[in-house]
Amino acid sequence: MGSAIFPLIATLPCPLLFPLNLFYSLQLVPLFIFIGGGTVMSGAYLLRLAMGPHVSWNRNGNPEPWNKTEPTQQHKFYSVNMDYSKLKKEGPDF
Amino acid sequence: MSDVIEEKIKNYRTAPFDARFPNTNQTRNCFQNYLDFHRCNKALSDKGQDVAPCDWYQRVYKSICPMSWVAKWDDQIEAGSFPGKI
Repeated sequence: MGSAIFPLIATLPCPLLFPLNLFYSLQLVPLFIFIGGGTVMSGAYLLRLAMGPHVSWNRNGNPEPWNKTEPTQQHKFYSVNMDYSKLKKEGPDF
Repeated sequence: MSDVIEEKIKNYRTAPFDARFPNTNQTRNCFQNYLDFHRCNKALSDKGQDVAPCDWYQRVYKSICPMSWVAKWDDQIEAGSFPGKI
């Protein structure tokens, strides 16, 4: 596949400034960009889940972390048209 | 305090927005209110107080939860096999 590019390169108007082996491996750079980007994004999502009150990680120690937040705290990543200065709604007990 | 709750229960229309569950999936909202109702009943009756304020949670979960879920959980509570912590 890469060798099919060779005739095309031979017709380039400018002189080649790097060896052809380097050119072939440079073709792989977009692959690394996308794989690296995907890894970064999934890692960032895992971090967000770990830090925030979204998931119960420790069933015995901290079973329901979303109950420990203020009623005015935003849990979504991005919200449109939402005024988060609301009141807590029920009979406090237990 | 309890007359504020009574007022709110009297003027109840539907379950209000809960910042803990802002997205479309309200499953956890339903389950949390069901749990809170039973925990509230248990806590207030242990303390010997009137359990009327707990009706707020009951109104909310009856608004949100599918009836089949509520029936299933009620049966499980009677049978002693309910998986949540009350």
